[in-house]
Amino acid sequence: MNKAVFNKSLITLVMLFLSIVMIVPFLWMISTSFKTPAEVFQYPIQWIPVHFNWSHHVKVWTGENSFMLYYLNSLKVSVLSTIGAVTLSSLAAYGFARIQFRGRDTMFMVYLSMMMVPPQVLFVPKFIMFDWAGIYNTHWALILPGFFTIFGVFMMRQFFLSVPYEISEAAFIDGAGHFRIFSRIILPMAKPSIATLAIIDFSWHWNDYENALVFLIDHDLFTVPLGLQNFILENNVDYNGMMAAATAGIIPMIIVFLIGQKYIIEGVASSAVKG
Amino acid sequence: MKTSWMKRQQHLGYLFIGPNMIGVILFFIIPAIYSFYLMFTDYKFMSPDTKFVGLDNIQRMLGDEVFYIAIKNTLMFLLSVPVSIGLAFIVAVVLNRSVYLKKLLRALYFMPYITSGVAVAFVWMLLFQPNNGPINGILRAIGIANPPGWLSTMESSMYAVDIIWIWFMLGYNMIIYLAALQEVSGELLEAAKIDGARTWQTVRSILWPLVSPTTFLLLITGLIMSIKQFGIIQAITQGGPGNSTTVLSLFIYQNAFRYYEMGYASAVSWALFVIIMIFTVVQWLGQKRWVHY
Repeated sequence: MNKAVFNKSLITLVMLFLSIVMIVPFLWMISTSFKTPAEVFQYPIQWIPVHFNWSHHVKVWTGENSFMLYYLNSLKVSVLSTIGAVTLSSLAAYGFARIQFRGRDTMFMVYLSMMMVPPQVLFVPKFIMFDWAGIYNTHWALILPGFFTIFGVFMMRQFFLSVPYEISEAAFIDGAGHFRIFSRIILPMAKPSIATLAIIDFSWHWNDYENALVFLIDHDLFTVPLGLQNFILENNVDYNGMMAAATAGIIPMIIVFLIGQKYIIEGVASSAVKG
Repeated sequence: MKTSWMKRQQHLGYLFIGPNMIGVILFFIIPAIYSFYLMFTDYKFMSPDTKFVGLDNIQRMLGDEVFYIAIKNTLMFLLSVPVSIGLAFIVAVVLNRSVYLKKLLRALYFMPYITSGVAVAFVWMLLFQPNNGPINGILRAIGIANPPGWLSTMESSMYAVDIIWIWFMLGYNMIIYLAALQEVSGELLEAAKIDGARTWQTVRSILWPLVSPTTFLLLITGLIMSIKQFGIIQAITQGGPGNSTTVLSLFIYQNAFRYYEMGYASAVSWALFVIIMIFTVVQWLGQKRWVHY
């Protein structure tokens, strides 16, 4: 074996070992969810249980605190929010990137400055406003604000700015207006960016614990993070059940990540480096 | 660039931005103004009469012992940011060189960031069990007779939270560094190699300065993001034991939604805003000294 191949293999092995350290909490979680209570804290750690015990997973998915309900709630909130956010962000981003009108740059500065305001400043007034409007303790309290993401506008604007101006110019000479240029030319070109924003936005809503914690009370409205917390508060000595519930909470995002890995990683990278 | 098509149908600009702008006004701007007003009232949820109390909330805050504990804890929490960035840089430099399984490794390191903070909070809670948890099991096995109590004692709880946060953020920081490293020209590194630079010298005198704008960006966004974070801490410790993990953002949440002291919570939330402003401005001024564009 030559030296270069040897070095490359050695570095790969070291990095692989460290990456396993990174995901060890997940491996332990899954392994524990299949154990019996007596085996949870056995040392040395038994990574593969002797007998696979499915009862904890059954408990998580059936009965009063079923994750079925939380999944459906989360799916509803995340899908509707994401559709709204992608639509409204794309529209606004086109306006900011491709139309000249009075007050545009001032408006954009206002958008920028809103990113500095911590969400804690907004929680109490939003709580009062939602209560007044009758959407407190409904899914709308999560979905409606979810339509409006400043990050989404930034990301899409960044993409629209990178599309050559000549393309719009040519369409304009052919007699197309902004709506036609947007819907027939720019939007179809933006498919990868739309996919990126959709996946990132979906993952935010799926994992969103803070807003659900503040704006939802009724158990039958709970999304996955709240359902998980609820399950653990009610079963706080059942460590195997806790880990089965945590597994149920994480699996959907891992699936989304495996499918959309390229988009997520590129989206995260481009939003920070270029934006 | 000002072209005729950009200027044509100017009014359409409002139609494109309008729908989004309405939401930004409703869910960002009005609440921000409203919160500013609430800071000067004794508003409590469900109580009928709200009085204007002037600067009482701010005075109360400045005399509140827990407020200072929360600031101290927030600063301790923020220590995790540079640590996570440093580790991420090392991982990114190695992964950017020739390794096999590059894509798989990248995905594995990034995995924690994509998962639900609440779920990982509960997993770490068990991993950190002081008496029979796996982490202390390993520490005892390698000869540490009295491993720390992690989340269970006031002295160690904030460090345990820091470790979780470093782990959580590492993959994100690494991905951003990888993107930045890919823009570093190969010729430059080739030239350094010809000049006889060692790996360590290349990393220290070429790569690190070249990615300093990225480091700066990660530091600013990381600090701001971490200062706002309370989900993971709320799920794991709810601020305890004692107030040992009560960070500022959690302190605000508890005052507002556990004690319904919403006027007071608004005052503290603006203190948080001021701290974020200071961080941003100081770093902005300081960047010239070490960021190379």
